[in-house]
Amino acid sequence: MSVADGATPVDAHRSGPGPVAWAGIFAATCLLLVALNHILWLVVPALMALVLSYALYPPMRRLMYAGLSRQSAAALVTTVFLIVLMAATLALLAWAGARAEDWQAGVERYIRGGAILLERTLAVLEARWSVLARANLAASVTTWLNDYSNTFVERQVQPLAVSILAWLPAAVLGPFFAFFFLRDGRRFHGFIARAVPNAYFEKTLDLLHQMHQTGRSYFAGLMKLTVLDTIALGLGLWALGLPGAWLLGLVAAVLAWVPYVGSIAGCLLVVLVAATDFPQDPKMAYWAIMLFIFVRLLDDFVFLPATVGKSLKLHPLVSVLMLFVGGAVAGVPGLALVLPLLGVAMVVGAALSAILTDRRLRARHHYARRLRAEQAAADLA
Amino acid sequence: MLGFLRPVVSSDLRELKALPLFSDLSVRDLKIVQGVLHEREYLAGEVIFDEGEEGNALYIVRTGRVLICRQGRPENAIAEIGAGGFFGELALLDSAPRAAQARALDPCRLAVFFGSDFLSLLETETKLSNRILFQFARHLGRRLRGTVL
Repeated sequence: MSVADGATPVDAHRSGPGPVAWAGIFAATCLLLVALNHILWLVVPALMALVLSYALYPPMRRLMYAGLSRQSAAALVTTVFLIVLMAATLALLAWAGARAEDWQAGVERYIRGGAILLERTLAVLEARWSVLARANLAASVTTWLNDYSNTFVERQVQPLAVSILAWLPAAVLGPFFAFFFLRDGRRFHGFIARAVPNAYFEKTLDLLHQMHQTGRSYFAGLMKLTVLDTIALGLGLWALGLPGAWLLGLVAAVLAWVPYVGSIAGCLLVVLVAATDFPQDPKMAYWAIMLFIFVRLLDDFVFLPATVGKSLKLHPLVSVLMLFVGGAVAGVPGLALVLPLLGVAMVVGAALSAILTDRRLRARHHYARRLRAEQAAADLA
Repeated sequence: MLGFLRPVVSSDLRELKALPLFSDLSVRDLKIVQGVLHEREYLAGEVIFDEGEEGNALYIVRTGRVLICRQGRPENAIAEIGAGGFFGELALLDSAPRAAQARALDPCRLAVFFGSDFLSLLETETKLSNRILFQFARHLGRRLRGTVL
């Protein structure tokens, strides 16, 4: 056994953060949300880069194992990724460009299909409840929907295209940041560690390690959740007989990255497709809704706790409450960012609380400062 | 004749190579290990870690001397470690509490090797970390033999 290691736990008991620390964690998460909401142009590429660096790390590790230096391996995986991305983008643009008119007509067709489904549903409801019939609900909703769908392209598609073009430079920053995350991640680690006093050094390094682990397991959990959601939705939609079931499942699973709003958007998308492609069979749209509700329940009670929730070790009540807070503070970006931010704030808060409330560490730090002051003044007396 | 092809070894790498734990490593491996080490400076009397504290890192003494003693009893020295020695090595394997206190006897410069960095080296640099593990096992074997005999 080493002279300095062993199994004599003097201070092995570790308690979690107290109520003050928890209040600090929630406050810090909210403040971060407000701050980050103002620099989304930077947050989005940084998050993309983080996810990309986690995804590119395994091939980079293989290259390093094969003998390449960290720098060469990072440069190679990022370059290959960029070439694949550019090729895929060009192919997609060529494919989408040739079908631009079809796309526009398709969007309008699907919206009309959704409107017809809504109109029929309201008509059935009016036939059963006279209160709704007296309110003339079906007619007024249909008029509003017709107005909306007639001007949909001008009002929604064009601003969407403009905002995608505006976000393009920020998206290009993602792979650029990812390269530096992969190459210099360790140097950054060392840079932070150098700024920490000796007494807090080991705990701070442990904190950085935990933060890294939390981030990695969160995004790895999110990727697993997306695959599980795609399989569940794809299988369900394929069983219902919807065209493009797997693609629709994937799009809906990706949209579900934004809690609640994303799931609703995914469900609406599938309902529109079902209503348009099966105009004579409204049951298909209702089955699609049932499928979404089932997958949502599966997500909340099976998939999410086993993937993302497990990685962050969050109580379900806290997760839901924080999602509401995130939405209220920073809108849709807040919904998407609140859980990873809370995860990081929890790790930092717990570690800071442990470090700052540790009297022994504080005493050691003060003692070291006194020693340094005495050394600096040694020849002045 | 082809001496210019031989890699140039800096004094820092030579110091690392001189450590028993890293004696089997190539220059490339040493550069990788050097990349994950953290340099810290301690003044004489400064506590490096306390008994009972969670151990996360191994410390390598670059210059100066370190005293290993019972908590708060520096007069009862367990060991004195000079330049080239290392202590707290079990932290590479687990995060068990430290069994003794470590204090700087002189102003000293230490290189710190974190357990988590070692674990990530195990994933990325299998050959390198196996060489370290082999030396580590030999080191523990020597200690065990010393305790038994």
